[in-house]
Amino acid sequence: MRLALLILEDERAVREALRRDLAPFASHIRLEEAEDVETARDVITEIDADGDQLALVLADHRLPGTSGVDFLISLRTDERASMARTILVTGQADQEDTIRAINEAQLDRYVAKPWQPELLCQMVREQLTDYVVSRRLDPLPHLPALDAAAAMTLLQDRGDF
Amino acid sequence: MTTSSVRPRVALPSLTLVQRLGLLAGVVAFIIPLAIDIPGLEPAGERMLAIFLLAILLWVTEAIPLYATATLVILLQVLMLSDQALVGGIGPLPPAASYFAALANPVIILFLGGFLIADGAHKYGLDRNLAAVLLRPFAGNARRSVLGLMAITALLSMFVSNTATAATMFAVVIPILAALPTGPARTGVALAIPVAANVGGIGTPVGSPPNAIALGALEAQGQGVSFIGWMFLAVPLMLVVLLFAWWFLTRRYIKADTPLVLELSANFDRSPAAIIFYVIAGSTVLLWLTEPLHGISSSTVGFIPVVALLATQVMSADDLRRLQWPVLWLVAGGIALGAGIGNSGLDAWLIGLLSWDALPLALLLLLLVGVSVGLSTVISNSATANLLVPLALSLAIGLPIDPTAVGVMVALACSLAMALPISTPPNAVAYATGEVPTSAMALSGFVIGGFGALLLALAMPSLWGALGLL
Repeated sequence: MRLALLILEDERAVREALRRDLAPFASHIRLEEAEDVETARDVITEIDADGDQLALVLADHRLPGTSGVDFLISLRTDERASMARTILVTGQADQEDTIRAINEAQLDRYVAKPWQPELLCQMVREQLTDYVVSRRLDPLPHLPALDAAAAMTLLQDRGDF
Repeated sequence: MTTSSVRPRVALPSLTLVQRLGLLAGVVAFIIPLAIDIPGLEPAGERMLAIFLLAILLWVTEAIPLYATATLVILLQVLMLSDQALVGGIGPLPPAASYFAALANPVIILFLGGFLIADGAHKYGLDRNLAAVLLRPFAGNARRSVLGLMAITALLSMFVSNTATAATMFAVVIPILAALPTGPARTGVALAIPVAANVGGIGTPVGSPPNAIALGALEAQGQGVSFIGWMFLAVPLMLVVLLFAWWFLTRRYIKADTPLVLELSANFDRSPAAIIFYVIAGSTVLLWLTEPLHGISSSTVGFIPVVALLATQVMSADDLRRLQWPVLWLVAGGIALGAGIGNSGLDAWLIGLLSWDALPLALLLLLLVGVSVGLSTVISNSATANLLVPLALSLAIGLPIDPTAVGVMVALACSLAMALPISTPPNAVAYATGEVPTSAMALSGFVIGGFGALLLALAMPSLWGALGLL
């Protein structure tokens, strides 16, 4: 089982910039992209079919068709993704959208464009760790993508076998 | 507002080929002794052989979780070898309660106390603070720091599970590792922790489950070993292997002039709850160490902190829930299996298959330790102990050696297996950090484990005899 990270962003240049900045994670987790919500849903189906888990979504708000915030709200009732951590990466969400994202989609983080690559990586690492902790997954296969020292708490009550 | 997210689906893991084969072979191996009349083996022995073969295959292939196999062993013994057996007519059988009693065996109670103290040490930050204080005298250069790191890891591991010790020490060391240049020095430090955690586990009865399995089996034969008695048997070996491991790892991986700063700040919790915890934990350890003076058995002593920590609410119902119940069940399954092998006459039959007395004693012990280390390199240490301790104790009946020595040897040998990432959970943690290549782990495991195994098989029995410990 691999942890998957989904980038939902309609602008190709921004998608590529995000992927480039998240390159340190590329060999440890599954990085997926979608340019609209419909594609994102297909990607979630693929991730699930492969036995992987969607751990984190980086979503833009303003998209063609369904908005990013509406997509994040819909994730909460999707049993394949209801535990996924969510980051809104946007320059265009107004106050009302942001309030809905926090209250209805239980948004975990908000990143304003343009982002700082090191801070984004640190945030992604923290969120992946929170996902692994909240689902009580075995952190060892994913350790290079996690905050290793924090992930060690999951091993405290594992016991010797 | 959608504060209630949907419940995530539970996905069952898919079985690997080895697991499927294990299930299939397990069922076949279970049926054979029941279907075919085995010469020289009573019906009860045949039933026990069926259970034992199934347990071997399930524990070796992990076709079902290790603790599930343990519960299956107990259930099958009740259904086939107790007064509640589905098919009787094979003479008088022990009551079903005697098999269920494995779950409350005194050794399980001892571990319950050990686990609760260990969890409390983490809850109140005692493990990390002790590590910080004890590391201070070793500050200076990298080789000395690694010695300190190994000494503290081993000391914690004597009372806390090897896995939790490795997790605590890695949480402390990972930020420090990042400051070292990539390469051998990081590998050396990252290897020092699992090696010390594995070896430290042999030091006390509560250090590691194989110790409990051996103790339980010995107690069933009326050969109980006290807490301090176990330490006298195991600590000398532990210290020598640790020193050797430190010498090997530092000479191979860490240059003498490597800078390494291991300065940690200790910040002891001084809340009333923490102080009550220190007092209860300290008194328990003191009572364990002084058993010859007061005569209260280590299991009874182990139950005192359970009562005291829960009564004072220093440890809560949540802490009780979080205990490592799967480990306790695995040990209980091993105790039940050992009892069944002894009661059914299967032990005598198994040992009669080969003429062991034709072999010199030293060679036999070397073989026993070698098989234990080899098997527990590839499967769980506790499962190895569950399978080999009953066999080794039956073997000891016909040998000119104290059964205690044989039981303790198998338990200690199981903890010396550390050549692969899968050998022990601390190894798996070290491997997952990405700082230890498999080849380095294999080499250090082979050299250090091999050194320990030779010492254990060839030198320890005479040392124990010379010191009058047996």
